[in-house]
Amino acid sequence: MSDRTAGRAERSIDRREMLGALGAGGAVVITGCLGDIGGGGNGSDGNGSGGGDGSNSLQFLTMGVGENIKQFFTENNKKFEEENDVSLEFTSVTWDNAQQTVNNRVDGDKAPDVGRWPARWIPQLVGKEALVPLDDMMGGDFGGKFYEGMAEGCKYEGSYYGAPWAASNKCFYYNKDVFESAGLDPENPSLDTWDDMLAAAQTVTEKTDTPALGLAGADAIETGSQYYHYHWSHGADLVDDDGKPVVNSDAGVEALTFFSDLHLEHGVTQSSPLSSTRQDIRQLFEGGDLGMVIAHVYTGINIDDSDTDFGYGIVQVPKGPTGRFSLNTIDAVSVFAQTEVEDAAKDLLRFYFDEDRHFQYAKNKGFMPTIEAVGERDYFQDSKNWAPYIEAGQYARARPKLTNFNEFNSRVVQAIQEALGDQKSPQKALDDAQSDLEELTG
Amino acid sequence: MGFAEDYTEPTSDSRLERGLDHLQQNSRAYLLIAPTIVFLLAVIGYPILETFRLSLFRAPSETSIETFVGLQNYVEILNSDVFYQLLWQTGRWVVVGVAAKTLLGLLIAVHLNGDIAGRKFFRTAFLVPWGIPYAISAVVFTWIEHPQYGYFNAILIKLGVIEEGIGILGSPEIAWIGTVAADVWIGTPFMAIILLAGLQSIPEDLYEAAAVDGAERWHQFRHITLPQLKGVILIATLLSTIWTFVSFDVIWTMTGGGPIDTTHTLVTWIYQTGLENGNLGMGAAYSVIGFLLLMAFAVVYLRVYTSGGEEL
Repeated sequence: MSDRTAGRAERSIDRREMLGALGAGGAVVITGCLGDIGGGGNGSDGNGSGGGDGSNSLQFLTMGVGENIKQFFTENNKKFEEENDVSLEFTSVTWDNAQQTVNNRVDGDKAPDVGRWPARWIPQLVGKEALVPLDDMMGGDFGGKFYEGMAEGCKYEGSYYGAPWAASNKCFYYNKDVFESAGLDPENPSLDTWDDMLAAAQTVTEKTDTPALGLAGADAIETGSQYYHYHWSHGADLVDDDGKPVVNSDAGVEALTFFSDLHLEHGVTQSSPLSSTRQDIRQLFEGGDLGMVIAHVYTGINIDDSDTDFGYGIVQVPKGPTGRFSLNTIDAVSVFAQTEVEDAAKDLLRFYFDEDRHFQYAKNKGFMPTIEAVGERDYFQDSKNWAPYIEAGQYARARPKLTNFNEFNSRVVQAIQEALGDQKSPQKALDDAQSDLEELTG
Repeated sequence: MGFAEDYTEPTSDSRLERGLDHLQQNSRAYLLIAPTIVFLLAVIGYPILETFRLSLFRAPSETSIETFVGLQNYVEILNSDVFYQLLWQTGRWVVVGVAAKTLLGLLIAVHLNGDIAGRKFFRTAFLVPWGIPYAISAVVFTWIEHPQYGYFNAILIKLGVIEEGIGILGSPEIAWIGTVAADVWIGTPFMAIILLAGLQSIPEDLYEAAAVDGAERWHQFRHITLPQLKGVILIATLLSTIWTFVSFDVIWTMTGGGPIDTTHTLVTWIYQTGLENGNLGMGAAYSVIGFLLLMAFAVVYLRVYTSGGEEL
């Protein structure tokens, strides 16, 4: 073969390779555009065919399905398809893209039939009339299976717009070694009320060098999630039944006074709560350098998994004059209004809220179960870390569902910081916040 | 190709005709630069226009609903106390930060320009802070200033200056100083290197002549070094001002704008308003105001510095 011919042959081969590559690339693109069809998919944006095309197909959108739970969905989706003679299109998106994905799909008439997502997004989609009310299901036997507070977390404007899929809540940790050093009984710590907690904190402060109590004041969401326990348990609220702000009630002022006095008057907290995030105080406790802290189940699990060697106990978050609460964050499963297969969508909910199936999910994923009977199983009840959290299910309370909750929360936290930083009295701080919030909510 | 002969002066009298003549005669040149102009309009012009458009809407980020409100966002901003608090905090952050970076940078540059041992090592070492991602440096400073674990407090406690750790970043009065310290540490190397380059371009003869005339070192610095460095200082401080003004990472990582909003600048407030709180329209209005302020500053700054007829 002459050089010239060889050159042509090479060019010819190059073109073929290029066409092949283009073809392969095109196939990949087309496959990608079609979405992740079939069970067990993970990570595509799922913009496939719109929900409810009239056929026996059902779109199930979830978020954050990692390796630890992928197999669970693969197996169960397949089982649901077999049992219900339906084709299930299962899609998982990452949390970063989740909210935008849901909104885009709803706005573009491509909503899934069923979606699993944070319950705090419910108001936005109810505003778009994008969700099916599930009062018929949640009002009957199906809804009766759930912890009441968790089910309430899926309620908005008097109707249920989802069923609680998973939850996380808070309990109260204390360091047994520190309590012993302070002369307190580590096995019977008497931490039932805020006043009990304050008394113990004062003793720890007097008798030891360890800061008695962790308060987080640096970050808006975290500060709120710590403080609202005090606020609610004093009988205060953030908004009334009409969604109007009511942060500066007498009870609210009492709660914030108690909260800020822990640092300013009693000096029982770590130094500078306004510098501390929730992570800071959690790490202090996990390192054995803090007497007490409100935290979530992973604090105990982290201590068990670490080389740190100290005893800790978990009790319920102390109660105030009007009750006890455990801040609850909830993932809900909702049916989207664009669906044309509403019955099949509800069947999917019934399928996944089967007790055994829900137990497997909670166990594998490490989330709080939302079905009471599952929480009563030995696996959770016999665990020193899990049992108090299961018990806390009865005190569950979610943040109010507001479309502009972040902005609302930031303003409330500013008031908390002003009081904690001794910039304003609790009354003045909350009055100013109330005024701004009234303007914000119109 | 003969491009040069295409660039002829227009000959017609009226402005429009002259313009058309110019366009016609230089059409090939305009055609050649057209892709670049389109590209620049797409990547620079469009985001600016879109930000301005958005600022005229009540546009929550979490839904697709937009309501045209005209200049209402601007009116609300200009009538709010927060805006003037932000102006004060942003000005404080920029002026103190840039001044400290410039003075420290000059000090370091003068020393590195001298005949000191290990000069090469120090020149390289001073670049390190600038090469570390800002967010990482901010995290490091957060730990240095941490009330329980931080070196800063530990040293003060060891020296007996304080009894327990000060929460610098948790104190509404001094948190901004804690963030400025980190920003100065990050930004000083740039100043030092730029000023060092300027120092090395000053002819040695000037110093020799001044020395012969009996000028002291301070007089040499004041009458030779500073005037010769004027152009370099102008550019370096202008760039540093812009970077410090738009700096986000340090404040957001260290304090998130707190405590009680005392470390917020316009930029961090824009992020919080537009993206965290979901009010894109208001965030965009703040962005436009910030953009205009920065433009006005740059124009005035350059005018003042070049008022003597100097060209950059």
